[in-house]
Amino acid sequence: MALVEFENLSKIYRMGEETVRALDGVELRIEPGDFAAILGPSGSGKSTLMHILGFMDSPTSGQLRFEGREVSGIGRARRAWYRANRIGFVFQAFNLLPRLSVADNVQLPIVYSRSRIADRRKRALVALDRVGMTHRAKHVPSQLSGGERQRAAIARAIVNNPSLILADEPTGNLDSQNVVRIMDLFTELAREGQTLVVVTHDEQVAAYARRTIRMRDGRVIEDTVNGV
Amino acid sequence: MINGILTFYSGLLNGLVEVWAHKFRSLLSMMGIILGVAALVAMVGVVRGMIGEVRDYFERTGGITRLQVESREPPDEQSHIAHLSPGMTFRDVEAIQAGGTLIDLIDPEVSLGWRRYTYAGQSEHAPLQGVMPDRRERLQLQMREGRYIGDLDVEWASPVIVLGGWLGDLFFPNGGAVGQKIHVHGQTFRVIGVLENLGGPESRGWFQRQNRICYIPITAAMKRFSGDDRLSNLSVRVAEVAFLDDALAQMENILIQTHRGIEDFAVSTMEEQLEEFRRMERTFTFALGGVAGISLLVGGIGIMNVMLAVINERIREIGVRKAVGARGSDIFIQFLAEAVVISVVGGLIGMMASVGFVVFIREVIDVEQFRIALSPPAMVAGFLFSAVIGIASGIYPAVRAARMNVIDALRYE
Repeated sequence: MALVEFENLSKIYRMGEETVRALDGVELRIEPGDFAAILGPSGSGKSTLMHILGFMDSPTSGQLRFEGREVSGIGRARRAWYRANRIGFVFQAFNLLPRLSVADNVQLPIVYSRSRIADRRKRALVALDRVGMTHRAKHVPSQLSGGERQRAAIARAIVNNPSLILADEPTGNLDSQNVVRIMDLFTELAREGQTLVVVTHDEQVAAYARRTIRMRDGRVIEDTVNGV
Repeated sequence: MINGILTFYSGLLNGLVEVWAHKFRSLLSMMGIILGVAALVAMVGVVRGMIGEVRDYFERTGGITRLQVESREPPDEQSHIAHLSPGMTFRDVEAIQAGGTLIDLIDPEVSLGWRRYTYAGQSEHAPLQGVMPDRRERLQLQMREGRYIGDLDVEWASPVIVLGGWLGDLFFPNGGAVGQKIHVHGQTFRVIGVLENLGGPESRGWFQRQNRICYIPITAAMKRFSGDDRLSNLSVRVAEVAFLDDALAQMENILIQTHRGIEDFAVSTMEEQLEEFRRMERTFTFALGGVAGISLLVGGIGIMNVMLAVINERIREIGVRKAVGARGSDIFIQFLAEAVVISVVGGLIGMMASVGFVVFIREVIDVEQFRIALSPPAMVAGFLFSAVIGIASGIYPAVRAARMNVIDALRYE
């Protein structure tokens, strides 16, 4: 069973008189264990695709199945539940809360997941250990370097053992040395079986993924497995 | 539900962190609440003190069953014969004793002003009044030593004196006053008793004035000091409140005879005073409530304003929290809790400020006049008010935060 299935999925925005087809009949399957890169110029619909994949937005038409369940019409609270329990987000701007310590930032998804977990702190430390950031647990984000911040953000993304990690231009704010470290970290997570989708316009970053999905004008125009 | 409480609790902690992180801004936004609560608690203290004073006076002087006879100008058509009336004299007392069947207590007074008292080379000034035995019951005076003025003292116009507690303390700190001779304005009086201080040793206001007064038989006052039988004051007590109106008519009937038909007196009930007192209480309550209400309202608007600004500053944070799974209700509770923290901390500071206020007012206003007290119920009310204001003013900003779209919030720069 595919983890995510898009079937003839469209997203239409109304901007005054104009209607914009951000997604136009997309057909796509993400399998468990996939490490996919979504590439495309701005306006190609890759951000909209990611928002829908990440339960931040719902499609206008078409079918969307997540873990075999139809989810295209679910409400806001249900989408929040999926974001907390099934999705891990990594952003270009890291988006750590400045007033919270690294450990507290990592715990946020557990706080909102509503599962009764007593050992929040322990789980946060396990996640920090996987990204090699245990020694920074008590620091606040402003005390960290860019690469460290992104690693902390990745720890936050994996802390609830999500079905899918979505990364939106995760290396956009990093120097080349840290790009390598972060992408190596993603590769390692993928090797451990984590499903990952990285949205980027950087071919070098996309080269780390096992699968490349190219988009243009709201459609998938190419879907290839790397190295084949 | 449990989750909501937990979110609210962590929201409170979070709110404290935010308040602490922006100390000056938080203080400014709390100012309205601080002043509102401080004004509320301090004003309740002041008004309580003033009203308590009036209430004490009212109750200690006989309450609603008291009738007071006052001299007044006769009506115009009688002004040419006004001199025929003897005025308010001791004959009024005798007439009421004879015919006032609805009256159970007569308390006339010849007020002799402040006089000089001398004992064993020591001199003090204190008010002197000539009274009858009923004075003791009307004011519920307690004897510390000896006895009060009796019927025979009045009949014989005996040169005896009952000292007020204040003078008793000065002349006879170790007791033993009874039987001693003291001089009052050059005349010798034998001490027959010393009164207990009313309102305790630290008495203020009406009690303090009362504790200075010394009493001699009314007849002695007339013979030895005033030289005629005019009264300064005349109060009576009605046996039953139910007969108040009848007693009033009876009094007027008796007095119109002793005054030879001339209406140069008025019998008034305490109902008017009571009504006046209640009106004062109402006025103060409304004025107080208005002032406190307006400042708390302004405080609430201040908090709402700050919360709206805070939310604008933290749109990105709202987006991040929602992206990692926060529901609208989580965000709502978080910001509501923060508003509550601001107002409750403001309320607590306001309560502390009110203590300072009250101490300050005590210093500035003559302590003799008012007993200003911090009232715990007013403090609790002020605190609860501040919490309610926090919730009320936090709702709208919190709803706005909760409704924010996650994608737009994340994109916000």
